[in-house]
Amino acid sequence: MILDGETLIPADRRAVWKALNDPDVLRSCIPGCQSLERQSDTDFTSSVRAAVGPVSATFGAKITLSEIEPDRGYTISGEGKGGAAGFARGKARVDLTDEAGGTRLRYNADVNVGGKLAQVGSRLIQGTAKKLSEEFFGRLAEQLGGGELATGAARPAPAAAAASSSVPGGRRLWAGIGLIAVIAMAWWLGR
Amino acid sequence: MDDRIEDFTLIGTTILRREDGYLLRGRAKFLDDLPEPKGLIHLAFVLSPHARANILSIDASAAMALPGVVDVLTGRDFTDDIKPFAPTIEIDGYRDVRRPVVAVDRVNFVGEYVAVILAETPYAAQDALELVEVDYEPLEAVVGIREALRDDAPAVHEHLGNNLIFKGEFSTPEFDKHFASGEVVVEGEFRTGRVTGAMIEPRGVLAVPDPIATTVTLWTPTQIPHIVRTAICEHLGISESLLTVATPAVGGGFGTKAHVYPDELIAVALARRYCRAVKWVQDRREDLLTNAHARDFLLRIKVALDREARIRAVYLDIKTDGGAYPNHPYSPTLESTGCARMMLGPYRISHYKYDVCSVMTNTTPTGAYRGTGQPPAFMAIEGIMDRIGRRMGIDPAEVRRRNTIRAEEFPYVNAVGVRYDTGSYYESLQEGLQAIGYDEFRKTQPADRLVDGKYRGIGICNYLEVTGTGAPGWRARGFAKMPGFDSSRVVIEPDGKATVYVSQADAGQGHYTTYAQIVADRLGLSWEDVIVVEGDTSKVPYGTGTFASRGSVVGGGTVIRGCEKVKAKVRRIAAYMLGVPPERLVLAGGRVHDRDDPNTGLTMHEVAETAYSMNNLGLPQGEEHGLEATDYYDPPLVTMANGCHVVQVAVDPETGSVTIERHVAVHDCGRVINPAIVAGQVQGATVQGIGEALMEELVYDGEGQLQNANLLDYLLPTAMDVPDLVLRNIETPSIDTVAGIKGTAEAGLTGAVPAIANAVNDALAGLGVDVNRIPLRPSYIFDLIRGAQAAGGGRK
Repeated sequence: MILDGETLIPADRRAVWKALNDPDVLRSCIPGCQSLERQSDTDFTSSVRAAVGPVSATFGAKITLSEIEPDRGYTISGEGKGGAAGFARGKARVDLTDEAGGTRLRYNADVNVGGKLAQVGSRLIQGTAKKLSEEFFGRLAEQLGGGELATGAARPAPAAAAASSSVPGGRRLWAGIGLIAVIAMAWWLGR
Repeated sequence: MDDRIEDFTLIGTTILRREDGYLLRGRAKFLDDLPEPKGLIHLAFVLSPHARANILSIDASAAMALPGVVDVLTGRDFTDDIKPFAPTIEIDGYRDVRRPVVAVDRVNFVGEYVAVILAETPYAAQDALELVEVDYEPLEAVVGIREALRDDAPAVHEHLGNNLIFKGEFSTPEFDKHFASGEVVVEGEFRTGRVTGAMIEPRGVLAVPDPIATTVTLWTPTQIPHIVRTAICEHLGISESLLTVATPAVGGGFGTKAHVYPDELIAVALARRYCRAVKWVQDRREDLLTNAHARDFLLRIKVALDREARIRAVYLDIKTDGGAYPNHPYSPTLESTGCARMMLGPYRISHYKYDVCSVMTNTTPTGAYRGTGQPPAFMAIEGIMDRIGRRMGIDPAEVRRRNTIRAEEFPYVNAVGVRYDTGSYYESLQEGLQAIGYDEFRKTQPADRLVDGKYRGIGICNYLEVTGTGAPGWRARGFAKMPGFDSSRVVIEPDGKATVYVSQADAGQGHYTTYAQIVADRLGLSWEDVIVVEGDTSKVPYGTGTFASRGSVVGGGTVIRGCEKVKAKVRRIAAYMLGVPPERLVLAGGRVHDRDDPNTGLTMHEVAETAYSMNNLGLPQGEEHGLEATDYYDPPLVTMANGCHVVQVAVDPETGSVTIERHVAVHDCGRVINPAIVAGQVQGATVQGIGEALMEELVYDGEGQLQNANLLDYLLPTAMDVPDLVLRNIETPSIDTVAGIKGTAEAGLTGAVPAIANAVNDALAGLGVDVNRIPLRPSYIFDLIRGAQAAGGGRK
């Protein structure tokens, strides 16, 4: 499943980049994130509680960053495995560019889900990804827009920031799936 | 024994099904309704989430620690006492593939059993499922027939070197010469979507050991109790005397339940190992994911004709997806050779060649499903009939008429050596056309097919249905261990009433009514006084079971023969009692009397009392006590039923959705036992055909993940999708089977699927599109319409 999209984050590129590499920020922005630990410069482990339709579980995942271009972007790949709920594997390219009013974040993710998630949740995955990524970007934008990075529990900011982005054809670009597709997908769907 | 019987009384009349009394009141006991023995162990299966992967490790420690969990077993825990499945298929080009009942080191499809949880309650078993940690190393999966046949495709089973589990061919003499003599060649390609039976009741098992676990009774909703028993005992290495296989009420079988499944072997093995009863009930996801799938076909057909559209020769190429392992006991050859042998249909095709192959892929194993191989076969031959018509400018009904075998040509032996003894091939076609008003429809049908804003078309399927296959029929296809016969034991009890034990296993077909009807007919009893027993290997003699439209031809045949044997003894004893020759005696109205003198004679009760030594009369010299007979009936190679569906559809250009406006089903299953039950079979199968044609499909992604193992996404037809079916019956008795009976259970599906596809093709003929795959979902049809409009065809 290919997921792509973009969103405008009201912060400068360096701040966005920093946030995207800060486990504390990520932990507070990823919906359902129970833990996120940096294992090395490029490796993380995480545990995310998520539900796709009737399938809900705690997904444990490994996430790896590669093709890192500081302040510009990286490729994030994640893999979750085992469990009665199934598994997910994902890989996404995230690119940051300057734009009036902040930083444009573009993502392109390829996510595969398997097991029960695919069998009974396929029709719900896109929608769930959208919802989770909106939530993620909402929180990220809120944190960055606020000028300082909160480390406490972020408030859900559904769709607010996400909905602000759109593509030329008028088709709404739920900032969705992006990072979540990436970060989240890899692990919330993961394992 | 003379099998040509004519003096019917009850056979051929509608008797309301005695089963419906308890089924409709909710009083039937299905597997999950059976009383649960004390100390029951509940099973749950850990299913592979990967289509192809190495199993690196399985950690069941957390699951084992859960209260209520008895044990967690993996593949290696079964290798010592359960042999892997390896169906015996003796046909050129078939290669052995084995399947362990629980995966060992490697999984090959999503849903394959990886571990078995044993728990004190079903809840603990389900909770434990979440706690088994399996470490997989995913491998590249093979998904799809074309992908499996690529040179660089990984081999699902390395020992094969590629993915061909079966490759066969056939040709009549000098085929190429005859094909080349054709003046016109028409070709077509067809694709049928993967479907499954989706019975209202999923499967399950309940294995109950006796107190010292010497014998076990396995309750399983199977269509083939004896074959299951033999398979279990063979694979477990135990005596068949130790195992009883019994069926509770069964909520639909449709061929899906005519396989032997790993859980049946596992349940018996565990009941013996733990000396405890073992139960497992499948949920809907497991049903759609792990029970046999079917119909995943690619077909290519080439027909050579003369200028009058008379067929000279037909070439057929069949490729089927067998899934990850051969189903047990048929293997994928069931579908592929079944299709190849049936494609000839009701047509005069003397020169025939086919190539057929079945591939292994990392998907659920495929196998039997109502119609097996025939809906794809008739998609091809009936689809090509329409294309011939369009190509040559001849009405497709006329193309069929010119090629259909006529009454005077019977018996006819087709190009693969199958004898068509009798039939109404031409008459059924004409009846179907007449019933729908075909000629009037064609007269008023505009060239662009648009009527009231919708494309309207009409489609025909003139089909044969293979029924009641006997031992020679199975041998001809390499099924070396398929018995082919069925059996009955007819008992007249001391009170003169009867019990019949039949080697069949009802899954809703109405056997408890029809066999009673047959016995009553043959023995002159009231049908209420006849009890039918089946679906229990400890009670009924050995037989093949209830699938492939066997119940009436073979089951009905053996019951009739059993009755005739008992009848002979009744006559001998009554003759002795009455002092008249046995051949003068008639059995009717619960009495035995001289044919010329109905008022004297004996009641069946009086004859039975003599047989059971309950009076002072004694028996004729040399006669044994008791009043029963056992019969084993091996029917002819096959018995061909036939019929014709004609369907009118409307296609909405704006949505691509297909509505069936009229549907005529003409069916000829020879001698009819119970007209209402035949009508029910035709109607039910037709509805399943509507599902297969319009909406049902199990969808895999490129990694072998099944996307719709649920009934929200795997669509089944509802009352809203089904028009008022017009059913017409023609009765052309067989001259080869007992009483002229032919089977009837699958034809509705075989007729409906191609007729609907052809009707949609006809509706869109003005657009110049080729509708050649099913299901005909709105998205597919919509894309075809839009594509044609973009290319300048059609309106706008």
